[in-house]
Amino acid sequence: MKPATTQQPLRTGDATRSANVRTGLILGSIALVFFGGVVYAHYAGESTLGMSVLGFAIVGFLAVAIGRNLRQ
Amino acid sequence: MSSIPHDRVADPAAGHGYGHDDHAHHPSGIMRWITTTNHKDIGTLYLWFSFIMFIAGGCLALTIRTELFQPGLQIVEPEFFNSLTTLHGLIMIFGAIMPAAVGFANWQVPLMIGAPDMAFARMNNWSFWLLPFAASLLIGSFFVPGGAAAGGWTLYAPLSVEAGMGMDLTIFAVHIMGASSIMGSINIITTILNLRAPGMTLMKMPLFVWTWLITAYLLIAVMPVLAGAVTMLLTDRHFGTSFFNAAGGGDPVMFQHIFWFFGHPEVYIMILPSFGIVSTIIPTFSRKPLFGYASMVYATSSIAILSFIVWAHHMFTVGMPAAGQLFFMYATMLIAIPTGVKVFNWLATMWRGSMTFETPMLFAIGFIFLFTMGGFTGLVLAITPVDIQLQDTYYVVAHFHYVLVAGSLFAFFGGVYYWIPKWAGRMYNETLGKWHFWLSMIFFNITFFPMHFLGLAGMPRRVPDYAVQFTDWNQVATVGAFGFGLSQLVFLYVVLDCIRNGKPAPARPWEGADTLEWTLPSPAPYHTFETPPHVA
Repeated sequence: MKPATTQQPLRTGDATRSANVRTGLILGSIALVFFGGVVYAHYAGESTLGMSVLGFAIVGFLAVAIGRNLRQ
Repeated sequence: MSSIPHDRVADPAAGHGYGHDDHAHHPSGIMRWITTTNHKDIGTLYLWFSFIMFIAGGCLALTIRTELFQPGLQIVEPEFFNSLTTLHGLIMIFGAIMPAAVGFANWQVPLMIGAPDMAFARMNNWSFWLLPFAASLLIGSFFVPGGAAAGGWTLYAPLSVEAGMGMDLTIFAVHIMGASSIMGSINIITTILNLRAPGMTLMKMPLFVWTWLITAYLLIAVMPVLAGAVTMLLTDRHFGTSFFNAAGGGDPVMFQHIFWFFGHPEVYIMILPSFGIVSTIIPTFSRKPLFGYASMVYATSSIAILSFIVWAHHMFTVGMPAAGQLFFMYATMLIAIPTGVKVFNWLATMWRGSMTFETPMLFAIGFIFLFTMGGFTGLVLAITPVDIQLQDTYYVVAHFHYVLVAGSLFAFFGGVYYWIPKWAGRMYNETLGKWHFWLSMIFFNITFFPMHFLGLAGMPRRVPDYAVQFTDWNQVATVGAFGFGLSQLVFLYVVLDCIRNGKPAPARPWEGADTLEWTLPSPAPYHTFETPPHVA
C-alpha cells in the first residue's frame, strides 16, 4: 500500500453516516430474522425448510454485499 | 502488496499529518474507560478483559488438572467437577478468545484501513460494557443454589432443561455475550465496507482485515441461532414449551443440530482472526510480500462457507442415515483443502525470505506447527468410524486444544508482541518474550500431547476419576498444565514491563512491516486518520 502525501476527504459526514446506518440496519435485520426464524421454524414444525431458506438468504446477502464492494 | 515508500510519508517522529493528539480532550480516570468511544481505548478494554477471563478460565483448568493428577476423588465433588469443565469451556470461548479477537479488531481494523474510528462508536462502547455483566453472571452462577451449569459448554438438552438455577444465569450470559458479539460484528463490517481510505479496494486490504470481515459475517449468521436455541431452552425450562422435551413431542437431538449449526462456525470465528494475525506477522519477518494474497482471501471465504455444512460431524454417534454420515464426513475433509492452501502460502512466504526470529515470528511459526497438528487430528476425527471410537475421549480434548490454544492463543500472543510497540509506544523485552514463547511451547506440548495417548487408550473426557492405567500420562499432563499456566505470568510481566519501562519504540520497529498503522507515530495518537490517507 502506498499512502501518498496528498490527503483526500472521504464522503461528507452525513453521507457516510447514512451509509453506516443503512448497512447497520441491514445487518441487524439479518440477525433478528435469523433469531426469530430459528425459533419460529421449530414452533411451526418446519425446521428444515425454515433453516434452509434463512441459510440461503444469508449466504446470498454475503455474496451480494462483498460482490458490490469488490471492484470499488 | 508492496511496502510503504517511506520517503513519501511525513517524518513519523515529528508527528505527521495522519495522527492528531493535540485535541485529545477526553475524561480522565475511570470515567475515561467507562464513557470512551475511542476504538483504541475499547480495544485495550477488550484485551485486558480477555486476559482476566483467560486467567479465570485457566484457574478452573488447573483445578481440573489437579483433580486428575491421580485416580480417585481428591479435591472436588463430581458435580462440581462437571461445573468446572462447563465453565472452563464457556469462559475461555466467550470470555477469553472471542473478546481478545474483537480487541485486536478494535485496535487494528481502523488503523489498517485508514479509518478515523469504528462506524458506530457509541455502540462499540456498549458492546464491550455488556461483557463484564455477562461474565459476572457466569462466574456468579457458582454461588447460586444447585451450582453452576454442569452439562458441558454445549448445554445439551435434556440435561440443561432439568438443571438448576445456574443454567438460567448461563442462558442469560450467553444471550448478553451474543448480543455483544452481534453489535461488534455489525460495527466491524460497517467500518470495513464504508470507512476504508480512498484507494483501498477490498483486494488491497491487509489480510487481517479480510479475515475479520469474514469472521464478522459468520458471527451475524450464527450467534442468533445460538440465541434462538437457548431461548427455546429457557421456554422449555420455565414456560411449558416442549421444543426439546421428547415427552411433550419435542426432539432433544434437534438441540444438538441447532447448537452445532452455531458451534462449528464458532470454531472458525475463533481461528480466522488468528489466521489474519499470522498472515500479517510472517511477511513482516520474512521481508517478503504474502505469497498468494488472493488465494488466501478465497481460502478464508471457502472455509467460512464450508463451516456451515459440516456441523453434524460433532454428532456422528447420535445416529443418522449412512448418506448423512458420508456427506458430513466428506464435507469436513473438504475444509482441509483451503486450510492447506493457507499453510502452503505461509510456508511459501517464508521460503527464501530474509527471516529473523523475533518473538512475534516465533509465535507465528509455533502456530503453524501446532495448528497443523491439530488440523491433522481433526481430519482423523472427521472419519466417521474412527470418530465413533474416539467420541468423547481425551483424543478430542487434545485435538481442540491444539487448534484453539496453540491456534488462537499463540496467534494472539504473537499479535500482542507484534503490535504492542504501536499501542504502548514502547518496546517489550525481547529476551523475556522468547522465554515466554519457549516455555509456552514446551509446556503446552507436555500438557496436551499425552492426551492423544489417553484418548486412543479409551479415557473418557469430563470425568473426575479414571482407571489406574491412565495415571502416568495424566500426571505428565497436570505437570505440563501448571508449567503452562505459570508461563503466562511471564507474559503478564513482559506486558507490564513494556508499558512502564520499555524503550521508546520508533514509528516502524519492524523492518518488513508495510501496513498503514506503521505510518503513524508510536504510540498511535488518540485520534488518527481524521483526514484519510490516499492509498495508491
